[in-house]
Amino acid sequence: MSEDTYKVKVAKDLEDLIPTFMSNRRKEVDALRVALAAGNFEQLRQLGHRMRGVGNSYGFERVSVIGKHIEDGASSGDKASLEALIDDYGDYLSKVQVAYE
Amino acid sequence: MSDMAAVGKTAQFRVLVVDDDPDMAAFFVKMLSKEGIKADTVHNGEAAILSVMTAPPDLVLLDVMLPGEKSGFQVCEHLKSDPSTALIPVVLVTALEDRDSRVRGIEAGADDFLSKPVRREELVARVKTLRRLHETRRELEARRLAAEVEHKDAIRKTFSRYVSPRLTDKIIDSSSAGGAPFKLRAERSDVVVLFADLRGFTSMTESIGVHHVVDMLNEYFAVLTEAAYEHDGTIFNMAGDSLLVGFNVPFAQKDAPARAWRAAMDMVRRFEPVSASWRERHGIVTGVGIGMCRGEAIIGNVGSPHFMSYTVIGNTVNTAARLMQLAQANEVLVSGALYESIRDLVPADRVEPRGVVALRGKSETIQVYSISL
Repeated sequence: MSEDTYKVKVAKDLEDLIPTFMSNRRKEVDALRVALAAGNFEQLRQLGHRMRGVGNSYGFERVSVIGKHIEDGASSGDKASLEALIDDYGDYLSKVQVAYE
Repeated sequence: MSDMAAVGKTAQFRVLVVDDDPDMAAFFVKMLSKEGIKADTVHNGEAAILSVMTAPPDLVLLDVMLPGEKSGFQVCEHLKSDPSTALIPVVLVTALEDRDSRVRGIEAGADDFLSKPVRREELVARVKTLRRLHETRRELEARRLAAEVEHKDAIRKTFSRYVSPRLTDKIIDSSSAGGAPFKLRAERSDVVVLFADLRGFTSMTESIGVHHVVDMLNEYFAVLTEAAYEHDGTIFNMAGDSLLVGFNVPFAQKDAPARAWRAAMDMVRRFEPVSASWRERHGIVTGVGIGMCRGEAIIGNVGSPHFMSYTVIGNTVNTAARLMQLAQANEVLVSGALYESIRDLVPADRVEPRGVVALRGKSETIQVYSISL
């Protein structure tokens, strides 16, 4: 379900890494869309796997959760579900707000 | 400063992070640097192997899924199968619920696992544990090497008085390989014994000043020792003006009789210029007399806890000593059994059979041959 904003608490010592992290996530959405359009499920699975690993390492739990669903969806070849997940991911990235602590 | 950082002050611990995701790699580097640990990153398996080979790290953090021809498992297998890198701890980074990957990782030789997403507490704890283990292992290895060096030094110090530097090295190699050429317990062994002494030494000590006698003895023993070492003889004893050398001990020498014969010839030959110089300087006429015998002897360390000596004793030694006493200057007297072993090496015109000789202090008689140069 879409929300107005997503608040994420990130460790202060990771602050200098976050701009690059966010930039890479946005590029990831584009890569996911290209892979889906091409029907490249292996690429989708790998991207989902990567999101799952990196997301919550930085404190972005939702990135890991969506990544896990994309990985599973790619394995089963569920294109409609993948499209919704990628949209959800794009929406999340556009609304996420980071607070450092 | 954390306790890991404190430990890091003594030696820079270095981690190689292998991850194709630049954000994960940056995360690891950041977390490790906070703990005072230097971290380098590479992004595929081939680069990881090259990096470990060229600059071995203290620990490898290795992602399982890597681009290129080698997966994390294959990199791990490669490192663990190479003796030069096998001891470097490898932590495989896998998804938390991926049990198959963990089993595969254990098979590949991984030392530990780290789950993705990574919890920084878990990362620090695992690296800390492996770092301690690694340091303990390195310390034990350093101690083992130091003990090995000490052991070799002790052997060198102990045996350099008996054998040539070349034989000392052989003893050290044999000892390192688990051998024991110098047995703790005495043993009977077939040996060739060579006894040499200086003809006219007693009168020399009466007519020449003490300091000259010592210098001359040193000259004499120097050339005889060189000849003995040249043919890998073992010097058992040096007393007065006599020298006791053994062959076929501590290492078997198939050609022991030939070595002994050549050593005897070398001793006489090398002493000639020394003798000529003494004649010129002090007006004395002298030469080396040698007795040699082949047979069984008892070899072992003899003495008290305060002074042990590697010694050869028995009938063969006594016979060689008696032959030496009978030998004239520049003459080599050998027992019949030994002569049979070297007959082909000795020019016939230099040999004179002395027949059966009864040796002083011995009930038996033996065949004796005189050989002169």
